Amino acid sequence: MDLFHDAPMFAGVRQMLGAFALRQIRPVAAKHDAEESMPWELMKMAQSFGMTQSAMVDGAKAVIGKDPDDASGDDVKKPKTIARISCVGAEELAWGCAGVCLALGGSGLAASPVARMGNDAQRKVFKDALKGADEHGHIKIAAMALSEPSTGSDISGLSTSARKDGDHWVINGHKQWITNGASAAVYVVWAQTDPNAGRGGVRGFVVTRDTPGLIPGRKETKLGIRASETAQVHFEDCRVHEDMMLGIDQKAQGGLSDTKKMLDSTRPAVGAQAVGIARAAFEYLLERVQGGTTHGTPLNSHQHVMFELAEMEMEIQASRLLVHRAAWMADHGLENVRFASMGKAHAARTAQQVTTRAMALLGEEALVPGHPVEKWYRDAKIYDIFEGTGQIQRRIIAKSLTGVNPT
Amino acid sequence: MEFGLDDEQQMVVQTVRRFVDKDVRAWAADADRAGAAPDRFAAIAGDLGFFVDAVPEAAGGMLDGAYRHTTRALRGFELGRGCAAMAALIETNVEPALAVTKWGSDAAKAALFGALAQGGFATTGRDARHALEIADGGGGVHVTGVIGPLPALGVASHVLLLAPSLVALLPVDAGTRAAITPTGWRAAKWGTLTCERAAIPADLVLARGDAAASAQAEILAWYRASLAARASGVATSAMEHAAKYAAERVQFGQAIGTFEALIRLRDDSETAALTARLMALHAAWLIDRGDATAADAASRARVVANDAVSRATIDGVQILGGYGFVNDFPVEKLMRDARAFEALLGDERFDRILARKGA
Repeated sequence: MDLFHDAPMFAGVRQMLGAFALRQIRPVAAKHDAEESMPWELMKMAQSFGMTQSAMVDGAKAVIGKDPDDASGDDVKKPKTIARISCVGAEELAWGCAGVCLALGGSGLAASPVARMGNDAQRKVFKDALKGADEHGHIKIAAMALSEPSTGSDISGLSTSARKDGDHWVINGHKQWITNGASAAVYVVWAQTDPNAGRGGVRGFVVTRDTPGLIPGRKETKLGIRASETAQVHFEDCRVHEDMMLGIDQKAQGGLSDTKKMLDSTRPAVGAQAVGIARAAFEYLLERVQGGTTHGTPLNSHQHVMFELAEMEMEIQASRLLVHRAAWMADHGLENVRFASMGKAHAARTAQQVTTRAMALLGEEALVPGHPVEKWYRDAKIYDIFEGTGQIQRRIIAKSLTGVNPT
Repeated sequence: MEFGLDDEQQMVVQTVRRFVDKDVRAWAADADRAGAAPDRFAAIAGDLGFFVDAVPEAAGGMLDGAYRHTTRALRGFELGRGCAAMAALIETNVEPALAVTKWGSDAAKAALFGALAQGGFATTGRDARHALEIADGGGGVHVTGVIGPLPALGVASHVLLLAPSLVALLPVDAGTRAAITPTGWRAAKWGTLTCERAAIPADLVLARGDAAASAQAEILAWYRASLAARASGVATSAMEHAAKYAAERVQFGQAIGTFEALIRLRDDSETAALTARLMALHAAWLIDRGDATAADAASRARVVANDAVSRATIDGVQILGGYGFVNDFPVEKLMRDARAFEALLGDERFDRILARKGA
């Protein structure tokens, strides 16, 4: 089992994105956090190493085990590397700044269902919408509009509706906590097409920004990951052609069950981001301990401090191993739901614990505005909330152990 | 053993709770965004005598007789429920005023009480890592290094400086002040003070040597008990907001507050907050009695309170989920505010270990 990723491909990704994080992300992370601004220049720069918006569609296709250019829908049995590569890359980028990491990869949230459930025409609409630049000269980005004010963890209770009217669907409703929600050029919107069908009636639609009735809403002010845009999106009699409903002519049904599978497949990379935050705080503290003194004695002469470091290192390594095992399972086509949840939940907890303890050990120093550890402390919290809260992950783990969904 | 409040304490609790529930909580979000409390805050808190409650009546303050730390802890808890930043501004003058009353010269009293009686602020800074350079000179001392960040230092006229073998009243104009706004306690008028051989004249030195160590232990006990009380108030506030949200928010067909995992989350945090409040009050009570164990009790209270406020605010955000992460709801502010309790004065657990080693 290749958990340690010695292969040149993994080392190359780690080296390239690690250097990008160090040289390009770290210098601007505090600025984008303070200004709550998107790192548009970095997003443009990321294209130079293949993180184009269109490539995310193809990349997502590879994650689910299909050749990007093969529209037959048959799974390829040969083990992939993309899930592990995603984890390696996500850790490095989040080590630089989790908010920037999410800004760079935010379009992938929308690209994933298009890759999984979309047909050629839908993929073309999606990719064409991302070509060129917007009116500000920024690269174009995508958003997945799933969560709603009344549905956070319980995504089966969506209230946004899609009503059939001739050859169009008419969408009405409000979406909340949408990554790239205010600036996206194209959206994947989830809506209830049949109120009597429950979760089976929820379907996804590809909707371009210029569609009448699609109204980008207010950008949220957040505790952390402030370089990543989070906004509301509103739909008022938004008419979408029936051809833009995902899953209309594919083996995948385009419903919520496919969405859940999609979240399972991306969960290891989300956990890897939390590992990146924890590692960043740990490395900062390690460096300070190596050179610092207290009461006239070296910090590294104190067992209290050194054991804290040891504890952090143990938890970070354990989180990384769980995350990478889940990714390895995904690459080998193995059922990884439990491990994906364990990795994400463990990494989220580790990131919170490491950043909290690092702040305590640093004392007043960490209160200075722009201090990286304070930022990482705020960034870490979202990993226990989005992409399935810590409680949802534990429900998934417990259910996989017992077959019973605990309430 | 008597857990009930006397008449004065009941009046203080009722007054402060009314002030917090009616005004402070209403102002907290805007003050956080603006990095400043509204003018009405200072006006009302000033009318209530909060800024000079530790300044002797004869010097223009409100203190008549012995200062009561138990009453202060009760007030601090209520203020913590409202806003940690505004609580810090209300509490910031207490340590300098009490220390100067007890150990200060007439010149120190005149300098500090004159400033505070005019509506000024003072703050307390501790050289927890022994990083400042202190040198004798001109009969007094010279200080080199950076002090802070400290709440109220952005507007304070004096810093009560607690350094190894030194307790002194440092005039802020002896150094170079920089006002800053951290992400927590944003309305608390933070600042740093860069000192390059900043002179503290002899009559502003409150204690040196063994006397300084003894004075410092006493001052830190006051400060720690107050911080613990306020932290328990913030923790309680986080759980109050979480309880309200959990009762209203429905997911999977039921109020999320009825899920066993969230019941436990809240229950554990509430228990921790309650424990911290009791330990803070106990420490304050010991201080009021002049008990020899007061300093240790205050330190222990702070350890427990730091854990409680950290846990409760993080769990508060967790219970509110996506709403907890955005600043339309108050809990993300509480999570930011929690950090200062642990950062100020340094790592309390480390202090205890070093104290037990005799370092």
